Amino acid sequence: MTRTTRLLGLTAALATLPLAAMAEGELHIYAWSDSIAPDLVAKFEAETGIKVTMDGFNANEDLLTKLQAGASGYDLVTPSQHFVRIMIDQGLLEDIDAHDLAAYQAVDEKWRGQWWDETNEYSIPLAYGTAGFTVNRDQYKRPVDSWSVFFEPTEDLKGKIAQLSYPDEIVGAAQLYLGVPFCSEDSAEMKRVYDLLAAQKPFVAAYTSDNIENRIGGGEVAMHFWWDGNSMKTRLNDKAPIEYAMPKEGLVGWLDSFVVPKGAANVENAKKFIDFMSTVENATAQYNYYGHSAPVKIDTATATYTPENAPELFPTVKVEFSRACSPAAQDLVTKVWTQLLQ
Amino acid sequence: MSWRDFRIWGLAPAWVIMALTLVLPIGIVVLVSLSIRGAYGGFDWGLSFDSYAKILFEEDWDGNLAFTPQYLAIIGRTLWLAGLTTLICAVLALPAAYVIAQAPARWKAVLVYLVTLPFWVSMIVRVYAWIIILGNDGVIEKTLRGLGLVTDMDSLLFTNGAMLTGLVYSYIPLMILPVFASIEKLDPALIEASHDLYGSRWVTARRVILPLTLPGLMAGAVLVFVPCLGAVLEPILLGGGKTMMMGNLIQTQFGGGRNWPFGAAIAVTLMVLVMVFLMLNALRARREVGHA
Repeated sequence: MTRTTRLLGLTAALATLPLAAMAEGELHIYAWSDSIAPDLVAKFEAETGIKVTMDGFNANEDLLTKLQAGASGYDLVTPSQHFVRIMIDQGLLEDIDAHDLAAYQAVDEKWRGQWWDETNEYSIPLAYGTAGFTVNRDQYKRPVDSWSVFFEPTEDLKGKIAQLSYPDEIVGAAQLYLGVPFCSEDSAEMKRVYDLLAAQKPFVAAYTSDNIENRIGGGEVAMHFWWDGNSMKTRLNDKAPIEYAMPKEGLVGWLDSFVVPKGAANVENAKKFIDFMSTVENATAQYNYYGHSAPVKIDTATATYTPENAPELFPTVKVEFSRACSPAAQDLVTKVWTQLLQ
Repeated sequence: MSWRDFRIWGLAPAWVIMALTLVLPIGIVVLVSLSIRGAYGGFDWGLSFDSYAKILFEEDWDGNLAFTPQYLAIIGRTLWLAGLTTLICAVLALPAAYVIAQAPARWKAVLVYLVTLPFWVSMIVRVYAWIIILGNDGVIEKTLRGLGLVTDMDSLLFTNGAMLTGLVYSYIPLMILPVFASIEKLDPALIEASHDLYGSRWVTARRVILPLTLPGLMAGAVLVFVPCLGAVLEPILLGGGKTMMMGNLIQTQFGGGRNWPFGAAIAVTLMVLVMVFLMLNALRARREVGHA
């Protein structure tokens, strides 16, 4: 090594030193609100000395917009499958060779090599589940084996139904019911979706994503569009008389994954966290906290939720996963939504 | 450097801050509204008026380009609701401000403080409070039931009335304060003079108090009307999200709709509307000064 290169090497080392020291101890996570067990975050901090900051989002679109705006400052985020696909295609994610992580070995076979990350370069799944509707059994006693109950309600349910305020979820469910494929670019098909939702509107008390537990648990509405695990936790923890429907037309599926935004400052810490969350012990603790299905190996002996006490998490009907729609298809979804609420 | 020069250059820091925090971001929004949408959100620089055309003309379900009233309907509803909120705020604020202005000096400070008190609490929390008040089995329903006035009532929450209530509640302090300031400056001698000249209470209010407090009312109207145009929380949390306001429309376009240029175009339209309102207001004020 010549003197110049040694000098250069030293300079380079010195220049990166303060940066490295700073990067050593931090991890900025942006995840679905209340989705990651606080106990596990504390345990991770204690084990590694890395200081974790946690922010929450409530919609994939919020996360996407933030990453597109650039320099989000986050090291680890948790989009759903179709947004993982979009983010990869848009070059918004760091290739972390996810298949080489210890966590990858814990991932259930059926979640590997999926269409949103075919070669498993970018993502490690964290949780999955379904979107459907929940009924309050004090308010509604008849069978709930079809979306028709929800979308084409009987007269007595006027003002007794609540929808989410997420057009993607609602339109997806309506498509399942009508047999229209997800991300349809066919205007005539989407008009049918619009007609269905417009006819349902007089029965809808609100399009809202807040405070759902109280609204459906307390019987303010008889039916609410909702997620499997949330419905289950409200039933078990609050003893709410509610049931998560298993409509024969199917449920809308989702799967959230850990991914690292492009240009993240603490990539190594992010990988450490992913591995940490995917050990059997921690994944089980996370499952017991979050109440949505685990795509990684867990210890069934210490798992709180089983097919017996949590049928919500073990659907008996087909589950169809939301897809990344083309701009033309997305425009039709937005059009349905805007016309519905114009 | 002469005093005259300093009067211009002394303001340079203010100009720089204005340029960086106001003009530049607005410029960016205008540029985005003229740009070309990205397939999955975002945008590519360009020059296109498609987004503005889309406000009026859009493909219908059969794929024909046709006049679409839906965005105009949303804009119209927003203007109407913001106007109504402003009017209700003005009607409620006048007596409230008058009472505060007439209060003894040591009470005055306390009352003004109480008016501003809600601002110390997060907006979301304040709106949520109304959910508890208006909701099923809420404070109002329980009270009415307890008094035996009603037995079965429709929900007050998730109605346009609930939304309006929330907006009035949120913004009325911004009306009370400027009105209070102008009433306080009002010379009591003028009111006495009006009474001395056999002006009734009504005539005094209409011909003396109202004209002299008009500048305060106008300032309050601007402060209430403008933020109401962009309200997002109240329509969702209290209105039940059943009809869109411009704020929600813009949010939808930047979020799920993945059409940033169109969202920006609506935002610019909203801004132009606000500016027209402000300019009309200013012209009117100038005319009144001219008459006086």
